[in-house]
Amino acid sequence: MTALPFEARRDQVHRKGDGTFRLACNRESLAGAVSQRACVFCGARVVLYPVADALHLVHGPVGCAAYTWDIRGALSSGPQLHRLSFSTDLREREVIFGGEEKLYRALTELIGRHRPAGAFVYSTCVVGLIGDDLGAVCKRVAAEQGIPVIPVRSEGFQGTKRAGYAAACEALFRLVGTGPTDGISPVSVNILGDFNLAGELWIVRGYLERMGVEVVANLTGDGRVAHIARCHGAALNLVQCSGATLALARRMEEAYGVPFRRVSYFGVDDMAEALYAVGDHFADRDPGLPGRARELVREELSILEPRLRSIRADLEGRRVAIYVGGAFKAFSLVKAFRLLGMRTVIVGSQTGTAEDYRELHEITDPGTVIVDDTNPLELSALLLEQGADLLVGGVKERPIAYKLGIGFCDHNHERKLPLAGFEGMLRFAEEVHRTVTSPVWRFAPRRAGSREVCHA
Amino acid sequence: MRKVAIYGKGGIGKSTTTQNTVAGLAEAGKKVMVVGCDPKADSTRLLLGGLAQKSVLDTLRDEGEDVELEDVAKAGFGDTVCVESGGPEPGVGCAGRGIITSINLLEALGAYEDDKELDYVFYDVLGDVVCGGFAMPIREGKAQEIYIVVSGEMMAMYAANNICKGIQKYARAGGVRLGGLICNSRKVDNEEEMIRAFAEKLGTRMLYFLPRDNVVQKAEIHRKTVIDYAPEHPQAGHYRNLARAMDENDMFVIPKPLPIPELEKLLMDYGLFG
Repeated sequence: MTALPFEARRDQVHRKGDGTFRLACNRESLAGAVSQRACVFCGARVVLYPVADALHLVHGPVGCAAYTWDIRGALSSGPQLHRLSFSTDLREREVIFGGEEKLYRALTELIGRHRPAGAFVYSTCVVGLIGDDLGAVCKRVAAEQGIPVIPVRSEGFQGTKRAGYAAACEALFRLVGTGPTDGISPVSVNILGDFNLAGELWIVRGYLERMGVEVVANLTGDGRVAHIARCHGAALNLVQCSGATLALARRMEEAYGVPFRRVSYFGVDDMAEALYAVGDHFADRDPGLPGRARELVREELSILEPRLRSIRADLEGRRVAIYVGGAFKAFSLVKAFRLLGMRTVIVGSQTGTAEDYRELHEITDPGTVIVDDTNPLELSALLLEQGADLLVGGVKERPIAYKLGIGFCDHNHERKLPLAGFEGMLRFAEEVHRTVTSPVWRFAPRRAGSREVCHA
Repeated sequence: MRKVAIYGKGGIGKSTTTQNTVAGLAEAGKKVMVVGCDPKADSTRLLLGGLAQKSVLDTLRDEGEDVELEDVAKAGFGDTVCVESGGPEPGVGCAGRGIITSINLLEALGAYEDDKELDYVFYDVLGDVVCGGFAMPIREGKAQEIYIVVSGEMMAMYAANNICKGIQKYARAGGVRLGGLICNSRKVDNEEEMIRAFAEKLGTRMLYFLPRDNVVQKAEIHRKTVIDYAPEHPQAGHYRNLARAMDENDMFVIPKPLPIPELEKLLMDYGLFG
C-alpha cells in the first residue's frame, strides 16, 4: 500500500492479501485527522429520534439541537412531534447558576403544549460539566405529568459515537417493561435497529405480517412510546445494524428472556435469510411459517430477477468503495454489489468491531482495502489508489466523492427512497446504475486524464 | 496599580485579613478596590458594614447584559471600592465559570481603568484553587502578586503548599509571583518559627505574623474591621503594620512547593520537637 496521510493509522487500514489480517478498531479517533464519526450526543439522538410520539428535548446550548435537527428521514405513519427540535438553550447564566430550573420549565411547558406520550431529555457536554441533576428533574416532571420522562446520558465528551448508542439503549431499556403485555401473539417480534429513514420499516413489517408474524414494536423507526413499553412481551427481537441496538437486545434477553437474532434487510440474500430465520425460529409454534417465508421470497424474486439481469450487464466489473457507520450494513452492501457484478475495492465503517472486520475480511476479494474510522484525507487517497467508480456512504462522504469526480450513492440519513427488502434492492440497483453510467464523470478532471484533485 | 490576590485554606481568615489590611492601606491614603471571588459573597462585609451588596452575577442574572459599574461597585470604609462576584447556590451550576464571567465583565466595564486612579486591587478568592475558574485572578494580566494566608495547623500549610503549585504553573505562563505568607495565628506551638521556616523552604518569606486576638471577632460581629471598630487597639496596629509591610514589599518569587514528606518533617520538627 502506498503512503497513508497519517502514519499513526497504519494498523487501522489493511489490504486483503497483504500479510495476516489484523485491524485495530474501537478506539478513539486520531486527533487532527477529522474523523467521519459524530459525537456521543449525536449517536444517542439518531437512535432515539424516530420515536415519533415522544418529545425530544436537548438540554444544552442551542447549537447541539440545531446541528442534529431532522438529521434523517425517520418517517412516521402518525405523529410528527419528533421532527421538531427542542432545546433548553443554555447560556452563560445557566452555566453559572445551573440549568435545572430552566429544564423543568421547558419540560412542563412543552408537555402542556404538545401532549406527548413520553419525553427524552438529552444531556450535552455543558450539562455534564456543570452537573445538572437530569435524573431528578425528569423524575419530578414524570410524577407531575404522568408520562415517562427519560434522561439520556449523552455528554459529548464521554467517548465515541458508540457511547451514544449505549446511552440510547439505556434510555430505551428504562421504558421497556413498563406497559401491559396481554394479547401479544406467541409468534411475535420486535424490529430493532431500523430507523425507517425512507420507509424501510414498512417494507419489512409488511413481509412479516404477510407471513403471519405479529410486530409488537419498532425500535425505533416509526416508533411509539406505548409499543416500546410493552415490547418485552414479544417472542423474538430482530436486530439490524451493528452497534445501535444490540446492547438493548442483550439486556432484554437477560431481563425478560427475549432471544434475539441479528439480521439485515438489505440485499436479496440477507433479506431472504432474515425471513427464513424468523420462519425457522417459530417453526414449532407455527409449523407452516417456514413454508410461507419461502413462498414469499419466491414471489418477490420472480418479480425482481429479470429486471436485475439487465442492470447487471452494464455494471459488470465496475469498482465500488463502501464507507458506512456500522459494519453490519457493509456486509450486506458487499453481497449486494456482488449480485450486481461489481467489485468492492474499499470497505470500512466508523464503529466496526474486531469481529465485524474479520467477517468483512472473509467475504471480500483479495486486494480489497478494509478500513476503520477513516478521515477525508485518507479516504481520498484510498479512493484514487483503488480506482473506485462509486462511493457509497453518508452525508459526510458525499463531498469527498464529488470533489474527486467519483459517483456517489447515499446509503444513510439522507436517502429518500427505501432500499430495504426485495423492492429496495431493485431501487438501489437502479440508482447505482444511473450514477455509475452517468456521462458526467467523463468531464471530471481525474477521468479526463489529469490526476489533479480539486481541494476547494 | 498593584493587583493582589489573597489565597489560603477555607476558614483561615482570608477575608478578615484582607479587609483589615485594606482598611490599613485606605487609612494611609491608598485608593483600593476589593473584588470578592467567592460564591458566598462575604468578602466585603466588614468594609461595607453588612452584606447589603448585590453581586456582579446576581445583577447579570436579573438585569441581563445592561450592567453598569455603579450597579455592582459600592463605596466602603475609607473610600474603598467593593465588588462581589457572587455565584450559584451550593451544589448547582459552575461557580468557577462565574468567577471568569465576573472578572471579564469588570474589565469590560472599565473597573480597572486609569481614570479610577486605583493604587490597589485585591482579589479575595475562596479556599482552594479547585478548578480553572478559581485560578482566573492569577492568569495573565490579572493579579501579579499573591499572598497566602496560613497558620501553623497542618491542613492550612498543606493547602498553602498546594496553592504554590498553582502559582508555579501560572508563573511560567505569565507574570504572577508569590509575595509572601501571612501567618494568621491559631496559637499552635512554635507557630511563628515554623511558618518562617516553611516560607524559606518555599523560597519566599513570612510577610507578617498576626497574633490571635478576640477583638477581631468582636469587630466582625459589629460588621467592622478592627481599624474601624477599635482604632486604638494593638490589633489595629498589627493590621496597619501588615498593610505597610505589603506596601513596602519588594520580594516577589516563583515558589518551590515542598514534597509532602518534607512538609510533614517540618511539622514534626517544629510541632512536636521544637
